[in-house]
Amino acid sequence: MTATGTAAIADFFDEDLAPLVRRMADRPRADGQDDDDNREIRSMVWEGLVGLGALDASDTVRLAELLGSVLYQGPLLDTLTARELVRGDVIGQAPVALAVAAEPWSAEDGAVSARRSFVGFATEVDYFVVGGVDTAGLRLALVRADHPSVTTRRYEETGRGEAYGVEFAGTPVTEWAGSSAEWEAALANARVRQAAYLVGLAQAALDHAVAYAKERRQFGQPIGRFQALAFRLGELSMHIDATRMLVHDRDAAAHAAANLAAASDLARTVTTRTMQIHGAAGMRSDNDAQLYYRRAAVESVRLGTPFQLRRESWETR
Amino acid sequence: MMPAFTPEQDRFREDVRRLLREDAVRAEIAQARRVPYGQEPGLLDVHRRLGKLGWLAVNWPERYGGAGATIVEKAILTEELIRHGVPDNVHLLGIDIVGMAIHLFGTPEQKERFLPGLARGETTANVLFSEPDVGSDLASLATRAEPDGDGWRLYGRKIYNMKAQHSDFGLCAARTSTGPVNFSGITLFLVPLQSMGVVIEPVWNLSEERFDLVTLDGIRVGREDVLGEVDDGWQVLGRVLPLERTGLDHSAKAERTLAALREHAPPGCEQRLAQLETRVRAARLLAWRCVANLHAGRPDEVHSATAKWYTSETAKEVSAAAVELLGPRALLDARDPEAIADGVFDAALREAPGLTLAQGSSEIMLYFVATSKLGLPT
Repeated sequence: MTATGTAAIADFFDEDLAPLVRRMADRPRADGQDDDDNREIRSMVWEGLVGLGALDASDTVRLAELLGSVLYQGPLLDTLTARELVRGDVIGQAPVALAVAAEPWSAEDGAVSARRSFVGFATEVDYFVVGGVDTAGLRLALVRADHPSVTTRRYEETGRGEAYGVEFAGTPVTEWAGSSAEWEAALANARVRQAAYLVGLAQAALDHAVAYAKERRQFGQPIGRFQALAFRLGELSMHIDATRMLVHDRDAAAHAAANLAAASDLARTVTTRTMQIHGAAGMRSDNDAQLYYRRAAVESVRLGTPFQLRRESWETR
Repeated sequence: MMPAFTPEQDRFREDVRRLLREDAVRAEIAQARRVPYGQEPGLLDVHRRLGKLGWLAVNWPERYGGAGATIVEKAILTEELIRHGVPDNVHLLGIDIVGMAIHLFGTPEQKERFLPGLARGETTANVLFSEPDVGSDLASLATRAEPDGDGWRLYGRKIYNMKAQHSDFGLCAARTSTGPVNFSGITLFLVPLQSMGVVIEPVWNLSEERFDLVTLDGIRVGREDVLGEVDDGWQVLGRVLPLERTGLDHSAKAERTLAALREHAPPGCEQRLAQLETRVRAARLLAWRCVANLHAGRPDEVHSATAKWYTSETAKEVSAAAVELLGPRALLDARDPEAIADGVFDAALREAPGLTLAQGSSEIMLYFVATSKLGLPT
């Protein structure tokens, strides 16, 4: 993608669309389970992003940061990773979800059987890239999502988003998709993008906190005038800056696990502080502070926990 | 420091534990954590059971429904309730804050009127301090009490309080007069909540329990509903708020989450667990130091602020560590069939931001210690 391309997507998320995007996969607890309106928005956003060339982006890291800054939730990041593993002529511009785990599966006679947890947007994609381990080591397969052998269950979780447990019970393999080595490379790139997404999310949360610190008055002045708060906000801004350098560095993929752990810490720290600065108001369902906080919890452990990522990065250095 | 518990106190703890481990009680607690969203429970059968035994407000005199025990037994009860996962807000608000305020500052008539119901687990109460524009800066509150004959009518909006929908009455701070000093002219009223002139609306939020927006639209209160002296509510607040800040509820929450984390954490994170364990032990010691101070009749505000800050920040850190070490599994709600540890991690994560805000924010505690303990200029 050219710089102009990213700019076009940034323009797409304008001030009318951005608030809808932030909540496009949030199902308020007290409002029941009906998600039709959000599904429509997600579908529209997908069409818009594909139309603007997001699937063929050359700077996907910058794109991911932009997506994080509007709290985009949908299959785009998984699809970008899948496209590194599967030939484009097979999936075209279809949305794909990753269902890969270094856990046992059965993959005999051209059909896979496995159970995969925390798969995003499982009911809205056309394909899954399923991964598993057997005597042949880690392998990946592309399967169609609409096959009757695929069943999904949405989790009740902190993020209130579209996270699913998916059961593949003898699902036919459409195509074998990438070797173990190719997965490692694709995973590293996915982690760089996830880290960039978290940097974008952290920046958006900080902007939300800063705006509130300027406006909210206690003890006769804007709370941002209290140095305790001002310094804390300044510090967060510097941490964001530092982590942004890591994820956009030329070397980022080589340090993908460590960088993602850092971005994970950053996102959870910034959003937790954003909550504190907002006081009880930030806990309200209609306030975005709690949305950033919940999304940071989910997004920061999507491709490994900081604990696993650091260990992995240390062992493979 | 940890008080040396008497054999009677140890026995009391065992008795409380035995009751909380009964099958019916455990089932009720588990059920209370899985009610449909928006239908949070108020007082449970377990509260009424404890109330009948005189244990719910065990440190109150028997004539008010307690057992005449000390604050140490009360702290033991609180600790065990939280360790066993009993939803605690209704108890904290009714007994530890409003009940205690009445116990300390109420007239004999007010004590007769309010305490026995609270102690028996039959009625409950909430706190109406915060307003849409007033949080930490409580002295600038805007709710006003307008003279009406020999009483007042209350006008204003109170928000970010909890359990108003279940509460029989609320402890409400309102302005009875204005003057050059903000904190004078505030009066505390015991206001019936389920009556004309009070409108309660839910404010949905991150945590498991809703906030309430309570609009006081001219409800009438009389002289008999004033807690403490007219215009002198600040004195009562200044004495009650530090008393509730032992931090024991937070340290017990941190203990509960950490116990579950220890059970589910993957191998290799022992160092982190050991670090958290030490921190949680320190939190508990700070909390019990405050209980010991109260028991000795020597409440110490610096100790209270220290305990409140340390215990709430510790509980928050443990909840964050659970996500860091367990990953997405920690995010499953108690209502999800695959939830681990009864969904305690998700609940802790959603409760955590409120811990360092409610009952005096971390910033207020830090400022107090910086100025009152360290003597830094104000």
